[in-house]
Amino acid sequence: MNHAWRRPAAVALVLGVFLGACREGHQVRWDQLPPGTVVIAVDSATSVRNAALEPGALTTVAADTVIGWSGPGGRPFEVAHRTGGPEAGHSRQFGTIALPIVLRVGTPALTQYPCTSCHAGSTVTMAPRRQADVHQDIQPVHPDTTGGVCASCHAREDAQLLVLAGGKRAPLDQSYRLCAQCHFQQVEAWAGGGHGKRLDGWQGRRVVMACTDCHDPHRPAAQPRIPFRAPELEKVRSTSP
Amino acid sequence: MHLRAFLLYALRAVTSGDRRYHLWMGSLTAVMLGGGYAYLVQAEHGLVVTGMNDHVSWGLYISNMAFLVGVAAAAVMLVLPAYVLKDVDFSKAVLLAEGVAVSALVMCLGFVMANSPGYPWKWWRLTPGIGLLNWPDSMLAWDVVMLNGYLVLNLFIPLYILYSHFIGEQPLKRKYVPFVYMSVFWAVSIHLVTAFLFAGLTARPFWNSALLGPRFLASAFTAGPACMILLIGFIRANTRYPIPAGAVDKLAIATTVAAQANLVMLLSELIFEFYSPTHHSISARYLFFGLGEHDALVPWIRTGIALNIAATCVLMIHPLRRNPRVLMWACAALFLGIWVEKGIGLVVPGFVPSPLGEIVEYTPTWVELWVTAGIWAMGLFVLTVLVRVALPIELGEARSPYLEAPPPARGARPRTARPRYKDVRPFRTR
Amino acid sequence: MSDDGTPALPETLPDGTLLQKPVDRRGALGLLAAGVVAGVAAASACRPLNASTPEERELKVLEWQEFTQKHYRRMTESERAETVRRIERLAELRHHEEVTIATTDAQPGVLFGYAFNISKCQGYRNCVEACINENNLDRASDTQYIRIFEMEDGVVNLEDADPTYQHEAPAEGHFYMGTQCFQCANPPCVPVCPVGATWQEPDGIVVIDYNWCVGCRACMAACPYWARRFNWAAPEVPADEVNPVQHYLGNRGRKKGCVEKCTFCIHRTRKGLLPACAEACPTGARVFGNLLDPDSEIRWVLANKQIFRLKEELATEPRFWYFSD
Repeated sequence: MNHAWRRPAAVALVLGVFLGACREGHQVRWDQLPPGTVVIAVDSATSVRNAALEPGALTTVAADTVIGWSGPGGRPFEVAHRTGGPEAGHSRQFGTIALPIVLRVGTPALTQYPCTSCHAGSTVTMAPRRQADVHQDIQPVHPDTTGGVCASCHAREDAQLLVLAGGKRAPLDQSYRLCAQCHFQQVEAWAGGGHGKRLDGWQGRRVVMACTDCHDPHRPAAQPRIPFRAPELEKVRSTSP
Repeated sequence: MHLRAFLLYALRAVTSGDRRYHLWMGSLTAVMLGGGYAYLVQAEHGLVVTGMNDHVSWGLYISNMAFLVGVAAAAVMLVLPAYVLKDVDFSKAVLLAEGVAVSALVMCLGFVMANSPGYPWKWWRLTPGIGLLNWPDSMLAWDVVMLNGYLVLNLFIPLYILYSHFIGEQPLKRKYVPFVYMSVFWAVSIHLVTAFLFAGLTARPFWNSALLGPRFLASAFTAGPACMILLIGFIRANTRYPIPAGAVDKLAIATTVAAQANLVMLLSELIFEFYSPTHHSISARYLFFGLGEHDALVPWIRTGIALNIAATCVLMIHPLRRNPRVLMWACAALFLGIWVEKGIGLVVPGFVPSPLGEIVEYTPTWVELWVTAGIWAMGLFVLTVLVRVALPIELGEARSPYLEAPPPARGARPRTARPRYKDVRPFRTR
Repeated sequence: MSDDGTPALPETLPDGTLLQKPVDRRGALGLLAAGVVAGVAAASACRPLNASTPEERELKVLEWQEFTQKHYRRMTESERAETVRRIERLAELRHHEEVTIATTDAQPGVLFGYAFNISKCQGYRNCVEACINENNLDRASDTQYIRIFEMEDGVVNLEDADPTYQHEAPAEGHFYMGTQCFQCANPPCVPVCPVGATWQEPDGIVVIDYNWCVGCRACMAACPYWARRFNWAAPEVPADEVNPVQHYLGNRGRKKGCVEKCTFCIHRTRKGLLPACAEACPTGARVFGNLLDPDSEIRWVLANKQIFRLKEELATEPRFWYFSD
């Protein structure tokens, strides 16, 4: 019931940056990786489990470019990020029925508002403030309600990079590094196993999805929708025996 | 030789009678056939044809079972004084009590069978050795053991005595008295075990009460003797079987005391549930007052309690209780009242609301009602057969033809001990 | 779907003193005798004795063997294999379904636990849908193992909660709480069974031998969490929707007149997969894992979150915890 993630995020932003900085070197190691931590890229065309289990299907990234930290008990875990376009939903098999679970796709390239779709050239330098008169089409909820601007998260010189507190840059698929600066409780729970989604069964390698695989970075809260059918308490059998 | 004669006699006794008798047995058979058909429907399609569902998973069958175990157990009210305390008034009536117990047990087992869909032979899995009887853990396993054991006891004791009389011998005390003692304890146990079947379930606060066992006993010792008084009244009115009026008087007093105790316990439950209601009182609220539009049981329980209170009050007034006609009506009211209170009034509210607070009401279907009626008819059929076979033997009218010299009629009491009823008709055996 | 490494039946079964008695030849004969009597009666009552086609004859033989089959826990490895083959064949003969039924045993050193985040659940019921499909639940009566209760913020009271909400979820000012079988450490449903047809496996899953169950429903009355469902009629699953990956103690086809329940997707979880409900949850509200593994997510939740269980006062010790962010 404690919707911690709903509390006024402006406060959290300040606190988060502060506390996040304080925790630097304590448990959370932003730039240092536990040995053996691996980021795997999951191809949305294959099932998550199969992709994760078949060694050839995984992209093992050199340890010095990967960010993560130890999970419960100090065991390294793996972060999955998804490749493919934004339409690449991912479905899971239950019985013979495939249930689509469309996830927000966090890819190393911008997908929601790619600058290059309007701006020519490979690099566009972002204005330090929101240009409300020219970017009417970009109405992201997240930075607007928290007093942030595009440049709070995106590097001005290259929107494909994330900007961390203190000016460090991170690739788009390392969203957890950015999010953790405010939502440190969530990211801590994510690392521990109380938040987020584990992909590869309960046993063996622990493969979890990154923040933006589930949360739309510009509209992070879960959206209301019509649920699956409700039970009928006084169900009359639909077919006669 | 004697055995064959006994069986032949029994067959003759149950197949011969006046028109009223044949009409009675014929209608019972008809109802049994109807119930049998309903049972086949249920066996074929499953319990979906009943009113039970995942929320109310026990209904009319288990309700009747709980009630009838009580009726069966109440035989101890006569067995104990007749065999152990040697009360002469009860010495004749005790056979009837055992007959009632046997027929009630047949009904109980019938209801247990009917409660599980499919054909009854799958119960082979209960047989120790080839199956797996989860005893002593399961109260239902206890119940099965107790019911069957009590059935055997109540068949063996009277059959042994009757057969001995039939072949002109005195039954040997050492052969049956140990079993009489056993049956006394057994009677109390079967009913307590049935109560524990419910009381042991922490999931259902409505049943999960230490009072349930004693309450079961009190209601059993009300409904059982009430049933006996009705039966004795009928026997005295329609046969020459000499049951002294003293037996009825004593039974009436016992019934009154038990009915009072039952009301005290009911009051105690009501205070417990409603003086400071908790979440656990919600089933009781459903039963007595209804929850919103869900109030199917309210008229039933109120009628049942009203019958119980009225009958108990009547029985407490000596002149009324001593009036045979009033006594019969009071006993019938008690029997019905307890049937409601301890049957559906006990079983169904345990399921409403469900442990997760969902409210689904229960209404029996025609299939269920027919199966129930059929099992009751079967019980009455068994009872009639037993009485029909037993009474002539006890009257000394039926003896093995292989006896050299028929002994003097047993059980014929001096005329002074004859019942007060004026309309004594001869018991007809052809 | 092979179970190569399946360990042999343990010598001593937990809390199963009754079951340590082996069935000797006399017992087997007795079983046969009882079976003959019952089976003849069954056969004569159910269907004509003259089976015309070889398939009908085979079906009759298999049904007879099914009726007289042993309790699952008393079966040897080979008997299990034979039983499973028979059930697979019966599914083929009766419903033209090709299914694979596993008898995978519990993994040593594994005890399953589940945690449910009531601040994360959005009430979408994806878990319910996945559960129905995964476990071959009866479509005709719309059997559902999982209930999602919509509750007003600040009040955990099932009686005021609404499990039948149909509007968009999440609703403002509400939170959602799911229930299913909690696989209690002290399950009240197990001892009440008169024939021992339900028991707790070493990995904590409470299972039912559907073939052994006589359908008395004592366990349903005993469950404080309303976790058990009954097959009031023969369950119906459209042939093209049947999940063919099955487990004897789990999602295999049930019969009319037996009780069934959530088994934490025993056919998945014993292979290391997540239960279908946890896998389907789009919010990450469901955490599943091995309680004996100190590095598991479930252990992290238990150690770091504020947790509670339903009806703790009943001492059932559910292995299903609720927590909030």
